[in-house]
Parts: sequence; C-alpha cells; structure tokens
Amino acid sequence: MNERVARLRQASLEAKPRLSIERAALLTDFYRSDRTAAVPVLRARAFQYLLENQEVYIGKDELIVGERGPEPKAVPTFPELCCHSLDDFILLNSRDKIPYAVDDHARQVQKDEVIPYWRGRSMRDLIFAEMTPEWMKAYEAGIFTEFMEQRAPGHTVLGDVIYRKGLLDLKADIESAVSRLDFFNDPEASSKKEELRAMAIAADALIRFAERHAAKAEELASVETDPGRRAELHRIAEVCRRVPAHAPRDFWEALQAYWFTHLGVVTELNTWDSFCPGRFDQHLYPLYRKGTEEGTLTREKAKELLECLWIKFNNQPAPPKVGVTAEESGTYTDFANINNGGLKRDGSDGVNEVTYLILDVVDEMRLLQPSSNLQLSRKNPEAFLKRGLEIVRQGWGQPSIFNADMVVEELLRQGKTVEDARSGGTSGCVETGAFGKEAYILTGYLNLPKVLEIALNNGVDPRTGKKIGVETGEARAWSSYEQLLAAFRQQLHHFVDVKVRGNNVIERLYADHMPAPFLSLLVEDCIAKGKDYNGGGPRYNTTYIMGVAPATCADSLAALKYHVFDHKTLTWDEFLGALTSNFEDHEKWRLMLRNKTPKFGNDDDYPDAILVEVFNALFDEVDGRKNTKGGNYRVNYLSTTCHIYFGSMTGATPDGRRAGEPLSDGISPVQGADRHGPTAVVKSAAKMDHARTGGTLLNQKFTPQVLQGEGGLDKVAQLIRSYFRLGGHHIQFNVITTATLRAAQADPEKYRDLIVRVAGYSDYFCDLSRALQDEIIARTAHEAFALPPAASV
Amino acid sequence: MTVPDVLAEVVKDEVFFDESGGGITISGGEPLMQASFVESLLAACRSRRIRTVLETCGFADPDLVGRITENVDLFLYDLKLMDRERHQHFTGVRNDLILQNLRMLAERRRAVIVRVPIIPGVNDDDANLDALSGFLSPLGLRDIDLLPYHRIGSDKYHRLRLPYQMEGVDPPSTEQMETIAAHLRGRGFRVRIGG
Repeated sequence: MNERVARLRQASLEAKPRLSIERAALLTDFYRSDRTAAVPVLRARAFQYLLENQEVYIGKDELIVGERGPEPKAVPTFPELCCHSLDDFILLNSRDKIPYAVDDHARQVQKDEVIPYWRGRSMRDLIFAEMTPEWMKAYEAGIFTEFMEQRAPGHTVLGDVIYRKGLLDLKADIESAVSRLDFFNDPEASSKKEELRAMAIAADALIRFAERHAAKAEELASVETDPGRRAELHRIAEVCRRVPAHAPRDFWEALQAYWFTHLGVVTELNTWDSFCPGRFDQHLYPLYRKGTEEGTLTREKAKELLECLWIKFNNQPAPPKVGVTAEESGTYTDFANINNGGLKRDGSDGVNEVTYLILDVVDEMRLLQPSSNLQLSRKNPEAFLKRGLEIVRQGWGQPSIFNADMVVEELLRQGKTVEDARSGGTSGCVETGAFGKEAYILTGYLNLPKVLEIALNNGVDPRTGKKIGVETGEARAWSSYEQLLAAFRQQLHHFVDVKVRGNNVIERLYADHMPAPFLSLLVEDCIAKGKDYNGGGPRYNTTYIMGVAPATCADSLAALKYHVFDHKTLTWDEFLGALTSNFEDHEKWRLMLRNKTPKFGNDDDYPDAILVEVFNALFDEVDGRKNTKGGNYRVNYLSTTCHIYFGSMTGATPDGRRAGEPLSDGISPVQGADRHGPTAVVKSAAKMDHARTGGTLLNQKFTPQVLQGEGGLDKVAQLIRSYFRLGGHHIQFNVITTATLRAAQADPEKYRDLIVRVAGYSDYFCDLSRALQDEIIARTAHEAFALPPAASV
Repeated sequence: MTVPDVLAEVVKDEVFFDESGGGITISGGEPLMQASFVESLLAACRSRRIRTVLETCGFADPDLVGRITENVDLFLYDLKLMDRERHQHFTGVRNDLILQNLRMLAERRRAVIVRVPIIPGVNDDDANLDALSGFLSPLGLRDIDLLPYHRIGSDKYHRLRLPYQMEGVDPPSTEQMETIAAHLRGRGFRVRIGG
C-alpha cells in the first residue's frame, strides 16, 4: 500500500469505538415535531432529517468520503429499535470485551431526551410485549435467540442496480410505478402510493447528503495550502455532485456511489450484517476495463481507491449490542463480506482482473472489515483458488471459501431463476442469497442440544426446574432409540412452532412500524410492487432459523444409542444420573463417552447417519412453512458466537461435554472429536444435504506447516475441491499454532494484532471472551493429512 | 481384517484420489511377507481403478513379484547395498533375490523409484554408489530417492530393550547428501533427497 493508505489504515486501527448520540438526538427531535404522515413517509422524512443535519466528515488523506457518525468509529444508536437504558450505557463503557466509550454528554441526552420519548415505543419493547409466555420461557432458557430485538432485518446484499442507475433514474421508475397504480381495483393502491412517495423522499435525502459532502470538500479546498490535496478535494466534490444522483461513469464514482448507498442503508436502520456490495469484482469490472483502456485509470490508482474504501468499512464497528444479542454476536465485526469470482449471470467463469486486484487489496489491508470470500466454482481457474490460499495461509482467517455451484443449487431449490441464482452469493457468515433481489432474514439461533436435554427431562429445563417444553415421557421408560428420537422430534416441533409464531408477529411489527424506504429503492422488485423491503417488496422473501451445534446433538444421540441400546454399557439410570451430577464422580464414564464412543467427523457412518437424522428433523420442521411476506422458512447452520452462549445455558450432554462448556460450532465436529484428519471431517460434513440449506459453516484449523510451499497449497486446494465435489457449501481455515494462541492469552498486549477466524468472520483474538479463546484453541489442529489408518496396511 | 474391509476404508478416500491423482501406498514392515493378502488387495484396487504404490525391500519370491507387477502402478524399491556379503552382514540376507526381482521389474518396464537409505560408513562409499549406478543404468531405471539415515527408531529399540546396531552412527549432513545426489545426477539419474 502507498503512504496515504498506510496513514489512513493506521488511523483506523488506532481509533477506539465510541458511541455517538447524534443520530438518537436528531431522530428524537424529528419525531417530537412531525408525526402526521403515513408511517413510510414519516420514516423517509426522519431519514431525510438525519442526512440533512448529521455532521459531515471528510478526513485528511481520504479519497472516498462519508461516515455514518461524526467521525471514524463513532457509532450511532437506533432508539426506535432498542432504547438503551443508562445501565446499558455504563456497561457498554466499562465492559471488558467489545466496549464502546460513552461520554457524559451522551448519557445526559439519553436520559433527558431519548429515554423519555422512546421507552415503550422502541421495537424491542413492542416485541417483548407481544410474545407469548411459551416464547419468553424458551427464549430465557436459551432454546433460541431473537435477531430482531435490537437490530432490524437487513441480511441483504446489493446487486448491480446502482452501477446501472442513479437515484434520479430510480425516482423516474417510482413515478412510472405510481402512474401504473390502479386505485379502482387494487385495494392496496393508496398504501403503495405512500410507500413509493417515501422511497422518492429517501432518494432525495441521499442525494442531498452527497451534495453536503461536495460542499464540505469545496470548503476544505478553499483553505487547503497543498495544491495536490486541493485538486483531490475538488475531484471529491465533483464525484459527490455526480453520484449517487446519476449512475457512475468511472471507477472512482462507482466506489463513492456504493459508499453513499451503504451509508444510507446503515443510517436508515441498524440492519443486520450492515450492508455489502456483494459481487464487487463483477460490478466494477466494466468501469475498470473502460478506465484502463482509455488510459484514465491505472491498476495502482484503482488499488488505492479500493483501499480507501476498505478503510471506510473498517471505520464502522457494528452498533453496540447488549443482552443476549451481545452474547450471540459478540464482535465489532459487522459482516460485510465481499464475494469474489463465482459465476457470471450467463453461467460462465466470473473471475476477472478486478477479482485479483481485490485479493491483492485484501492481502495488503489485513482488516477485519470488510470480510472477503472466494465463490469457487468448478469453472473457476486453479490460479484463483491458489491466490486465495496464499492469503489464507498467513493465518488471519480470510478469505473463506464457498462452493459457488452449490450456492446456485441451493437458490434454485428455493425457486429462484437460474440468472438470479448465479448473480447471488453468500453474505454475513455463510448465508445464501439472491443479491439485490431477496430479503433473507435470519431470525434466531436454535439450540439443538438443549432441545435434546428438554426431551431427556420430559419437558423440564433441569437448569431452572421450569417446564418449558411438552411432556414426551420419562426417558427411563424408552426401550428403543426410535422412542428417544421421536421425543426429540416432538420437542423440536414444539419449539419451532413457538419460534415461528413469534417470528410472524415480529415480521408484521416491522412491516407496520419500521418500513425501510431507502433500502427498498435498492432491492428489486420493491419499486415495481410498491411495497417495502420489510413488507414483502423484494422479489424473494425468505425467513431463516439457524440450527446450532448439530454435532454436539448428534454425538449425544449417538452416545445414548451406542451405550444404552446397542451395547448396554450404561443403564438409563446411570446415564441420566451422570448427566444430572455433571459427571461428578463419573469421570471414567465421561472419558468413555468422550473417547470410546462414535463421533461425528471421522467418516464413520454410525454417528454421521445420526447427524443426518438431526438435520432432516430440523429441515422437516422448518422448511416450507410460510412467512407473512409471501415467502418461506428455510434452515441454515451457523453459530457466530452463539455456541458459547448456548453452551453456558446447557447442562452436561451425553457426548461427555460438561455443563456450561461451549457447543460445537457451525457444522464442525465437536472440538477435538475429529481424529482421522481433515479428509474424514469433510467426508462426514458432506453427508448432510447442503442443497437443502441456505448455508452451512465448516471450520478447520491447520498448523502453518500444512500450507507451506506450493505442495502445501496444492494439498489444501485438493481438499477444498474434494469437499465441494461432495456438495459442501463452505470451508474456512485458521492457520496458526496452538502455542501462539496460548502465548496471546498469556500476554495479550503483545498480540493485539493477532486475527483469528471465529465463525463466518475474523476477529482480534484479544477481543474474544476467554471462553471463546479456549474454544478456538480446543478445535482440533490438523498437523498433516493423515490417511485413514487402513490405507497404509 | 479382510480385503473387502480394507477396500471399504480405501474407497472412502476415492474423491480425494480423484482430485489429487493419489491412491494407496502399501508399506510395512514388508508387505510381501503377507503375499496373498497383498496380492488380492492389489487386484481389488485394480478392479476399482485405484492407483497403487508398493513399498518393498524386494526380498520376495520372484513368482509372487511376477504375479503382482501388473497391478502395481509404482514400486518404491529399497536398494541398500550392492555388495552381497556386506548386504548379508547388515541385513541378514544376501541381495541376489532383490537384484533379480528389480531386474525383472525393469525388463517389464514397470514404474520404479529406487530408494537408497544413506547410512554413513555403511553404504555411502564410492564403491557402493558406483556399483549402484552400474547396475541401474543398463536397466533404464533412472529415478532415485536418497533417504538420509535418521535415529527415530533408536528409542523404540531401547524401550524394547533390544540392541540397536547403528549405535554411534550419525545422520549424514545436508552437504554429504547433496554431494551424493550430485554424483548420481552426473550419471544421468533423476535424484531426490527425501521422498
């Protein structure tokens, strides 16, 4: 990177996250003075008010401009979603991990202005007030989490619209949609008109925000003494007057257009996974090619501009989370995840020069945000995979690697067109989506081992003694594995029912109270339908429930089947007694359960078949249920940091795990249970039908020696290609020695910059909770490609 | 374990063989000590189109070696010493059978990598290396892996309270290995150290 980028990068790394009260104060001002219009229009006016009055920031050295707070790493709050208490502010300011500095001014404003207005009106308050007692009991027991209690549905990724159309073009589309409204036959025509009006206001608001940046750049230029910088500021002003009002004409304008769009989305609402340009190499390639052919752009200049944009992503930690949301997603990372490679719309190889350029940027920048991934298709060249693995082997967890062909298959199964599927990809951690056309909303994690625990206790949560499930009978009376499995399925059915009922209420609350007119501009077919992003406007509307710890659950069922029914090593009384006592005085049995019992992850059909049963049980419960927006429910498998939280809520499990310890992450084997090398892990992981999910997450840990040299890269490349041939969705690697991780635990100050792969994202090791640090250390590190023993006779 | 048991384990890795061009390596001990098992396993692998490598010291019945040759894609063939008496002294057997079998493989144009463990003071002398290249060249065997002697096994001998005959032998230095490799390369061999 050049000196400018190095300075910007350093400044971004050194800036500490702090809470900015500006947005909350402005929003409260607005709502106090203007409450007369229809909800979507009111939301659009609030958005306009924010963008008209927020401080505009243009930093030294910057080429791409705009922040969502008054300065880098100043993070706004969203009291309309979650109205923080003063205690929340104290906690945010003082907590050991993922703190946000909160100053006295912010506390004062929160106390005097924000809380008096928003308490009882925030979505969080509305949601909890509407939930049934069954829902509250399951939520409090750690059966599931609720994504929408502090952040808004987002989980979406931009398609190619902003590179084809400026906001003025979209306004013309809105006008034409309004002119097509049939007020005599369509009972929804009036509400559609309000929604479209709101979208037009939101478009104007962002254009105005860009103009304010142009004015600020000119103002700075007028006092700038350095002629080089003065020229840059004039160029910035020129760019901001052009985009996002009009479609970008060159590479610089394209990046700035994206960034203003991003800021619009994350200012309007606190969307999950912030926002993301998705298939950036595809979108940027035409303008990159035009610029380099005309001689107006060099590769170096394009790289510098991209790196300036990368800084912008890194300047934006996720808005502060509290409570269960902080437990399930304990990170500053905000899950923008750039897709590289994959397929073009016509099905041909999508790798281009910008793909390699972006990978160079990822390699040089080494930042948490944006995250990056390879969409690896069988049509992509090996050089693309190898370039990615060269970055992987440096050990900071990026890029992760996805099976682009499987992603297409998943989307096709859900009913997307083949073109929409190919121009989709993955976002957040591993979530599959039709970019620019789909709202695919993650609603909460589901604790599969806890569901089993409830089944083993006839509906009672042994941690609290409260009855939270249904009565499925005393385990002691079950004389076959099938009875056990039936009880598990019955509890699962109950909890999925409870979760879906809650989700459907929450979906309507968002549709009615929290439309997102700006985001709706960007996602097809909201304009054409005259409907909001949160109200079924997108072409596709999918609702997800995320299964957590299928491996802990399957290993537990396998242990019960193996020891109680098949081999009769333990009686029900002995087994349940050992679980109740958390293996107190039963260490021998615990070790037998850990070490002498079939485990998922070893290409052993005994536990692997049980994992498939668990997988099918959840699929059958969830997939195809209708949501309230004309779409369907689907499942996916990721856990972010939720397997730690769920572990803390779950007692001893039959696989020999002690109470409170972390559960397995993603679809990875239980930590340390995979003992036949990475080939056996991917064979086991491929036995579930990934095509029937919207994403799965597989973690692998290697010591650095494995990836040494060209030979090491070849082997890992072959492992990945093999997993994908078998139908795997995603794989990611931590390449780091256990000794390094332990050293970092002992002396965090020395290892502040140590980045590791956590779930579908990377994070600073020292920012992780102790439990999560231990969990990552416990993941099996493969030191070599051990062949299964029988292969060397 | 039966041959079908082993084959069932092997085919679990078929997808990786397809990607990497790999297959199975049958090693030992000395696999040809279990001749009929190895013979049927090789035949079973052939029927499934799984590539096979056989690692052997070559001290085996020539009829057996003759029967399995077609089902082995690559031989890793140990050749420790060219002098038959010294071979007898260090290994307990003469090398006639070993050389005879290797000649047969060469005549049948099988793929062979000759593996020579380099043990200082035992077989790293010019006389042995000259005899080696003199034997291999006319047979058209051009691939040699030189394996530097290591002491990893000594601890096991001690634990089993068995006398370790190589006591006092040091592993060859990198320079020594390079010198030997260069010497053989000069005579037209493709030489790798390690392997």
